[in-house]
Amino acid sequence: MTLLSQDRMRTVLAWVVIVLIAVPVGGAVLLGVVYGESPCILCWAQRTSMVLIALVGLFVLRYGPRPRYIGLVVLLGTWGVYMALRHSALHLARDVGQGFAAPYFGIHTYAWAGFIHFVVLVAVAVLLVLLREDAPSYGPRATGRVGRLAIGLFLVVVGANTLQAFITTGPPPFIGQADPVRFSLNPRHWVWMYQDEVRGRISLRGSWTVPRPDPTAVEVDADPANGPLANLPVLDITRRLAITAPLGGTLTGLAHDPATGRFLAVTDHYGVYLLDSALSRVEHRVLLDHQYSIDLTTLAGAAFLGDTLAVLATNKSYVLLRLDPAADPDREWRHFRETDGGVTELRRSRFATERARQMYVLSLAYDRQADELITVTVPSPRHRRMVVSRFDRGDRLLSSEFEPRLGTNVTPSDSGRTLAEYVVTGAVAVDRTLYAVSAAYSTLLVTDLDTKLVTAAYAVPGIERPVGLAARGSELLVAQADGRIAVIERPGAGSATSEQTVRR
Amino acid sequence: MEFLNFLIILVAAWLLWRRPDKERLAFGLLIVSCIIMAVLFLIGTHTSLVPGLNL
Repeated sequence: MTLLSQDRMRTVLAWVVIVLIAVPVGGAVLLGVVYGESPCILCWAQRTSMVLIALVGLFVLRYGPRPRYIGLVVLLGTWGVYMALRHSALHLARDVGQGFAAPYFGIHTYAWAGFIHFVVLVAVAVLLVLLREDAPSYGPRATGRVGRLAIGLFLVVVGANTLQAFITTGPPPFIGQADPVRFSLNPRHWVWMYQDEVRGRISLRGSWTVPRPDPTAVEVDADPANGPLANLPVLDITRRLAITAPLGGTLTGLAHDPATGRFLAVTDHYGVYLLDSALSRVEHRVLLDHQYSIDLTTLAGAAFLGDTLAVLATNKSYVLLRLDPAADPDREWRHFRETDGGVTELRRSRFATERARQMYVLSLAYDRQADELITVTVPSPRHRRMVVSRFDRGDRLLSSEFEPRLGTNVTPSDSGRTLAEYVVTGAVAVDRTLYAVSAAYSTLLVTDLDTKLVTAAYAVPGIERPVGLAARGSELLVAQADGRIAVIERPGAGSATSEQTVRR
Repeated sequence: MEFLNFLIILVAAWLLWRRPDKERLAFGLLIVSCIIMAVLFLIGTHTSLVPGLNL
């Protein structure tokens, strides 16, 4: 293999600098000056990084391949890849054709910058592999004709950048903008600022800093009198049941099948249990392998979809199961850590949301009339909203989402209080009505799925750590983490409330 | 600040071209420019330093 001498390497490097400074950097200046497309603050940093890589190339032209130059260009290359990831992440997941400013050759500038920094790293590696191990010569030396062209072009293009930077970002302390205005030579159109960019607290993950809730240990104030709604009527617990069938782990969700009378229970150990109508016998059980394929966080909800069993994790990942006497245990081995052999996994995937994005859920309901699955978000310090999301059973994609509003019969206890203070840990849909039990303030919320209004709310004193809600006839069964079940009359299914109200 | 940074880069390049004996000064300006560039990017992303995606 013919290795590069230092002189040959300098010539190659000079051309690399010429291409780098002429095409992406010079092209960006043209875009700005001719077409008026000004860079944002992040684009400026990406462009500056490419300029600095070219400048390091000029250092090598002048002084030879000193280790600190090579180290610096590798640092700039890796920093540039990070910048491109961070910047592009704002836009990569948007819908088709959407981005920030115009694309060039089908790719937006922030993505181009990432590709160029990646190529720089590859080019450095290739040049180092091909560089002949001559005795190093680090003194200043003549740059040659191509080298002079590289330096001259560099000064011209960077000079043009300097002019563009002055017009679009201003002198210090002004800095680039998130939403830059187009280039203009008219000073009255110049926008110089820095306040917008320094606003906000420093954070590693920003709005993605969302603590994962533990369905078995939701830390809340359970007193209904302290809740955000005033004068709630009380729903008395009419009796108590208990799951006596052995469950592995703590109960985190419960559903009832009106067709067979059976129950579906899920636990924090990824156990899925089909129980008889007396809650005393396990008819079928599987222990999901939560590490297979998609990431299942703790199971938090369950629902019967006819003969399909649906279980939901707190991160809105779901698993659909079906009873199958002919299930092949060897084929299901990938899905289940343990199984009694009578269950097949149909699908494992995730619900995608819009309003409920970046929020966890602790409940799953099934609206038979609409054939939709329903989740309700729980608030976090970053996102204090209650969002009801509905997913079509056919394709399991989002059908609609809404933040429930208060009906005329429901009043907030204070002007600053909202439904987002409730932590819904169990939900069930009956006759186009969503019943949701909140561990916070031990409250049952009743929401009309057509009007999207909370039409009623009830205090349910005496429930402890509710984790699920099931409907059976005219009753609602509030499942608790300890396996006990508080039975209350279902509002709307007959006389339900006592004379007592909870006042603040 | 971007304007100031490009001025620094221009000075460093001019030193390379016209005053190659000032390598230490030119390299020092290069490092200062790298730091300003990085700080400006971090100012623009300080509310979420890592990409806003699932990690």
